[in-house]
Amino acid sequence: MSRRYDSRTTIFSPEGRLYQVEYALEAISHAGTAIGILAEDGVVLAAEKKVTSKLLEQDTSAEKMYLLNDNMVCAVAGMNADAGILINHARYTAQQYLKTYNEDIPCEQLIRRVCDVKQGYTQHGGLRPFGVSFIYAGYDDRYEFQLFTSNPSGNYSGWKATSIGANTSSAQTLLKNDYKSDMKISEASKLALKILSKTMDASLLNSEKVEFATLTKSKTTGKVIHKIWKPAEIDQLIKDSGVLEEAEKEAEKEQ
Amino acid sequence: MDIILGIRVQDCTIIATSKAFTRGISILNSTDDKTRQLGEHSLMAFTGESGDTVQFAEYIQANMQLHAMRESYELSPKATASFVRNQLASSLRSRKPYQVNVLIAGFDTKTEKPSLNWLDYLGTNVELPYCAHGYAAFYTSSLLDRHYRADMTQQEGLDLLQLCVKELQLRMPMDFKGVLVKVVSNEGVKIVDF
Amino acid sequence: MSDPNSINGGSAVAMVGKDCVAIACDLRLGNQSLGLANNFEKVFQLGHTFLGLTGLASDVTTLSETFRLKTNLYKMREERTIEPETFANLVSSTLYEKRFGPYFVGPIVAGINSQTKKPFICGFDLIGCIDFAKDFIVSGTASDQLYGMCEALYEPNLEPEDLFETISQALLNAVDRDALSGWGAVVYIVTKDQVVRKVLRTRQD
Repeated sequence: MSRRYDSRTTIFSPEGRLYQVEYALEAISHAGTAIGILAEDGVVLAAEKKVTSKLLEQDTSAEKMYLLNDNMVCAVAGMNADAGILINHARYTAQQYLKTYNEDIPCEQLIRRVCDVKQGYTQHGGLRPFGVSFIYAGYDDRYEFQLFTSNPSGNYSGWKATSIGANTSSAQTLLKNDYKSDMKISEASKLALKILSKTMDASLLNSEKVEFATLTKSKTTGKVIHKIWKPAEIDQLIKDSGVLEEAEKEAEKEQ
Repeated sequence: MDIILGIRVQDCTIIATSKAFTRGISILNSTDDKTRQLGEHSLMAFTGESGDTVQFAEYIQANMQLHAMRESYELSPKATASFVRNQLASSLRSRKPYQVNVLIAGFDTKTEKPSLNWLDYLGTNVELPYCAHGYAAFYTSSLLDRHYRADMTQQEGLDLLQLCVKELQLRMPMDFKGVLVKVVSNEGVKIVDF
Repeated sequence: MSDPNSINGGSAVAMVGKDCVAIACDLRLGNQSLGLANNFEKVFQLGHTFLGLTGLASDVTTLSETFRLKTNLYKMREERTIEPETFANLVSSTLYEKRFGPYFVGPIVAGINSQTKKPFICGFDLIGCIDFAKDFIVSGTASDQLYGMCEALYEPNLEPEDLFETISQALLNAVDRDALSGWGAVVYIVTKDQVVRKVLRTRQD
């Protein structure tokens, strides 16, 4: 039945569904998990990087964390090539806004502009939708630190803590249990790593499999600091967080 | 010969515009308002080619209202001035540029600070404590240089404005029918008896 | 009178020293003979590269915003800031895009290459022809006077402190002989690991 309605994105099925969009969502549910947590003094993004082969050249730059603007970082789940198009668009939109208004673009406005592009591909004919979801960490004067997600349908929503990609439902459950609204950035970082360690296929957490980004505000200058963490820093963070020992202990208990 | 004049004081910005609407050698109207309100806390005064002026001002006004509806908040005065500058700068290299000079008075509710921007039809944009367009600048600049202080109250600002208007009445070759004075402060835009 | 290059006034100069460069500008913005602002900077920092823009103030603002956009995108794409030589070519091509309706500006570029540590300066005409110079570059309404001052005062391989003195004296004495420049000045002294910005008090007439 569905065959008749899923070859083109623009057609609703008799049940009122857009199959291509649902397939895109399905594609994302196999991608590496990405988690975002809003803390009192910043935002944390953590993502699982799927290592496909040992022979693959490990690029020095992050492949799932992207800077969109001075006040925004995003994590990607889904097709990286598709993400590239949207990220370029977002970066250009943010810079164009800065050029006309001499102020940073408000987070939600930038996200809406990206989502307008995503939405376009669910309606205009012939092309497939973007196979990517994003988690955005942002800061602006009006709402301070913010966390958003967006998906291929072009919908976006704000969160205190959220996840996208594989095992998203179990990650969400863990977040719901452990999230506290008065968390500082260090606690949030630890929580993000802990949850990622539980949702990942591989048990051992290290910088080859994890990417990490934070958005904080400088206490001295009041400027927003965006940081996409280097592998060595991630390893140190994993070590300091004690997530590995906790995982070991729990494994022992189960035995 | 139109007069538009602005003074930024401690907690508000004062805008004065001449009430005479002239064409050639005639005064057609002596109750003209050469300003448009762009938002709750921003006001634009304009002079230049008749026809272009109101057209441009209302185009900007409509754009600011559209922005306020879409984003459910208003642009800061600084962002407003940047936007207007960009419009003027791109118009300058179009087939028929807007020949409009403007002053933008604003009160930034976030920083609690008043502001005054001077923009000409070329797309020059500067933030200034006091300024005027056209001949009025030649007659008032020295007075303002001498008497202006950044910590003036609204009343002191209006007194200084009185001094400027007196000088203009004395020196300008035509009767500009007095000035319409508006104040942009925390409370928004208000007309002041002058 | 209606020459776009001298409506607003303003001047800038750049010099090469020993392992350092300096770039400076005045602060005046006028409307013909009337002085409007004494805080209009014409030197912009884009990463570790510096851009001086003189000429029509509208185009100075437009281009500084354009190059901010382009260098910010470059920085995100390349994950490093733009080198002065690269930026010079970006300026050149950006100006030439408007070959038949140009921006009325006289840009100058200065900086130290972060890889080779070599100082670099250059200037442009309004449609982007690059003028590579080993010693100094001048631009703006006081450019004639600046040429004279620089020819007289410049010597090669100056240390940063001496370069600061030379560029400052060159600019200050040049703008004093120009009615459209002056009203304060800003000087940047750039060495490979430090940028020093100094605001100069000048005569206010």
